[in-house]
Amino acid sequence: MSVAVRLEGITKRFPGGVVANDDIDLAVERGSVHVLLGENGAGKTTLMNVLYGLYEPTEGTVYVDGEAVTFDTPQDAIERGVGMIHQHFTLVDPMTVLENIALGWEPVRHGGLGIDDTAVEEEIRALSERYGFGIGDVVRTPVEELSVGAQQRVEVVKTLYRGADIFIFDEPTAVLTPQEAEQLFDVFEELTAQGKTIIFITHKLDEALTAADEITVLRDGRKVDTVDAAGSTEDQLARQMVGRDVLLTVDKTDASRGDTQLSVSELSVRNDQGITKVDGVDLQVDQGEIFGVAGVDGNGQTELVEAITGIRDHESGSVSVRGEDISDRSRSERIALGMSYIPGERQERALVLDFDLIKNAFLGGQRRAEFRTGRQIDWAAVRDHADEIIETYDVRPPDPTVTARSLSGGNQQKFVVGREFLRDPDLVVAAHPTRGVDVGSMEFIHEQLLEMRDRGVAILLVSAALDEVTSLSDRIGVLHEGSFVDVVEPESVTNEQLGLLMAGKTDPAVSSR
Amino acid sequence: MSVSGRLKRLFGSLVGLSTGERVLVSLAAVAFAIGAGMVVILGAGYAASCESPVLFILGVEFCYNPTEVLFVLVEGAFVGNFELGRTLRWTTLFLFTGLSFAIPYKAGLFNIGAQGQFVLGSLGTAVGVLWIAGVAPGGTAGAVVLVSAGLAFGAVVGGFYGFLPGYLKVRFGMNEVVTTLLFNFIATAVAFVLVDQYFVDESISGTQTRAVPEVARLDPQLFPDSADFSLLVLLFALLVVAGVFWLLRRTITGYEIRAMGRQPKAAVFGGVDERFTTLFSMTTAGAIAGIGGAVYVLMVVGRWQTGPPPVGFDGIAVSILASNNPVGLFPSGLLFGVLQSGGQEVQVQTGVPSELVGVLRGLIILLVATPELFRLMGKRLQRHGIIDVGTDGEN
Repeated sequence: MSVAVRLEGITKRFPGGVVANDDIDLAVERGSVHVLLGENGAGKTTLMNVLYGLYEPTEGTVYVDGEAVTFDTPQDAIERGVGMIHQHFTLVDPMTVLENIALGWEPVRHGGLGIDDTAVEEEIRALSERYGFGIGDVVRTPVEELSVGAQQRVEVVKTLYRGADIFIFDEPTAVLTPQEAEQLFDVFEELTAQGKTIIFITHKLDEALTAADEITVLRDGRKVDTVDAAGSTEDQLARQMVGRDVLLTVDKTDASRGDTQLSVSELSVRNDQGITKVDGVDLQVDQGEIFGVAGVDGNGQTELVEAITGIRDHESGSVSVRGEDISDRSRSERIALGMSYIPGERQERALVLDFDLIKNAFLGGQRRAEFRTGRQIDWAAVRDHADEIIETYDVRPPDPTVTARSLSGGNQQKFVVGREFLRDPDLVVAAHPTRGVDVGSMEFIHEQLLEMRDRGVAILLVSAALDEVTSLSDRIGVLHEGSFVDVVEPESVTNEQLGLLMAGKTDPAVSSR
Repeated sequence: MSVSGRLKRLFGSLVGLSTGERVLVSLAAVAFAIGAGMVVILGAGYAASCESPVLFILGVEFCYNPTEVLFVLVEGAFVGNFELGRTLRWTTLFLFTGLSFAIPYKAGLFNIGAQGQFVLGSLGTAVGVLWIAGVAPGGTAGAVVLVSAGLAFGAVVGGFYGFLPGYLKVRFGMNEVVTTLLFNFIATAVAFVLVDQYFVDESISGTQTRAVPEVARLDPQLFPDSADFSLLVLLFALLVVAGVFWLLRRTITGYEIRAMGRQPKAAVFGGVDERFTTLFSMTTAGAIAGIGGAVYVLMVVGRWQTGPPPVGFDGIAVSILASNNPVGLFPSGLLFGVLQSGGQEVQVQTGVPSELVGVLRGLIILLVATPELFRLMGKRLQRHGIIDVGTDGEN
């Protein structure tokens, strides 16, 4: 096999002295899937931005098909057949699939006055059929009406349409459901079968092992090793990634449950469109217990959590904390009751992206006495708090004066989790607390959750990662179309049985309530 | 996208810039506007016909000399106690109405209604002071009572008139851009009818109230009476600006205002009460515009009369030129004061119509509102290493 991409001695130094890539060599075989594995901030994306022409390397050479190349812009890269699919899509939502794919590369007719959309449509259909993308029938549908997985396939077709031979995927599964991720890996197979080359950036071990032919592990901007996926194990990869042994399984003792902390009864909640998404839910979370909520995304998890935390009004029913009905309490009153909340939408909800980390450390803690001197905010105290979060949760870069927007997704998540956990809460509502963070941090967040549980904190855990829910929870409520199908103990069910429950099928053999 | 949405995005496009870039943008806009304004004046001087042209270039006659206009503009704004006082009088008024736009802007709201708040605030002051003048003591005590009562009347009436669109927004979801804009016309009409029907001064013609008593007037210090300007009032205005700066930077309410303005959903997550924050910032804005109205009555005209100057509308431009940052309000307000004050002189001395000075003001606003051009230019200069612009955000 020939080498499609070779990077030789790539070093990327940013102004200010940060070395994102340090003398990295990499060779990617044509027709293979090559995974770049590393923690948040290990330099994976920077390295690929160098290949894609977004960054100019400080030192080193890029070879495509054995020829040294210098890309000043992504256009140069595309012309040499290198395409990149970013985590956040570059699609124009109200425009159709066809318009998005042709954008900037339209075949024209009538001397440039019209677009030859029949030609484009035929090509899209042909591509879709050849690779099994299943978007042939939605060519004239606005992109915003497609599912996230389908939108990603549109991105792939767009890149193919532009003549790419080498595909860079930057953490593509972060926005996908597990099923959609499976479909994406099928797409990988189709692409490589046709001789295309794929570089897949991820920090998830199982995905790396599933999808890769070869895996290159990066840590702190350096290459640790390149290994064959066959014959590698998660433990070994995790050690290379983090630089120490990592506990991938959670070690937990039995819960010693106290009084009921959170009690939800007959709760019904509507979404913004007025559709009832939570329909008569009952649940109790005791002190010293982790109550997990499993379910396919969109079955009312968001609305349930928002009604409990006071973000969203509910239709009927009640929410009580320590026996006191708080249904009419405002969001800030609920915060004052000792409720911490990690929302699923960290960029929209949990952070003011244009604020620096100091000001973000203050968000939700405005009423706390230790951040105040008289009527004024004690910014020095807030800054100390920000430093504490950054240090305890290993937020990078460790600089509280940078804006939240400038952090990578995983570091944003670590900052939010740190802020909410360090508040000394009595009740934690955590939606997808480890979404986007690397294994090292994931282990730490899991440990913190269990440690808080053992201190008597009540925890409501919502997660799309089934392993996370089953390994941490003491009880699991399975949410389907807005109500609990069943409440089970994790030891008494298999993942298959949970999967059936998530699909709404009650299995009498499983129930153990 | 709705018209107001476009408007918001247009103004919002200024926000993404760093502090250093914003200062550069504003300075570049002013410099460009002055340059372009000079060209416009030259062109107008070519098109106009006059008996004695003042400028000949390559045999072409021009009626106006741009450099002379610029000279007269600056001289008319600064040289002489009266001129300087007149400039600072406008600056003072612009500080109040500028703040009235800047505070809601920080909360993500567009208060286009400073003019109405200013007009009704000034009416409240005039009527209120006349009402209690009979029972107020004389001498210094009377001055203190009447002036503080006058400012309070202006603040209360203006504040209420700012509260209303805020309430309509939180209660009925009415867009504040539309309501505040339309409230200006209501204010002017209502004030006219009220004065005409109930408070009119019968002794002179025109629609105006009686003059407030002499003790309630804010006397000029260091400046001639005719300048209608008191240095103490300017200091008071700067104190209000400093107070707003403190409010926004150092208090919880200020933090919550800024969080809501930047990212409403995150603010709600953080326990910010959107309704309170909306009402608070709109009411405060109205109150400050109303105090501006009070100052206009007590320092400048001494009564309420029809045809108040459009300082409320100018305040929007002043605030935008200052990037809605209280720190920038004084230089920005001073510039508009110079244009206002010097512009009057230009018309008298050079015969250039004051509308052409209006064109200059318009150009400044236009160029400030299209920062992208300058931002791109700045980026280009930065890339070529010609300038070094800080990339830090606020604080």
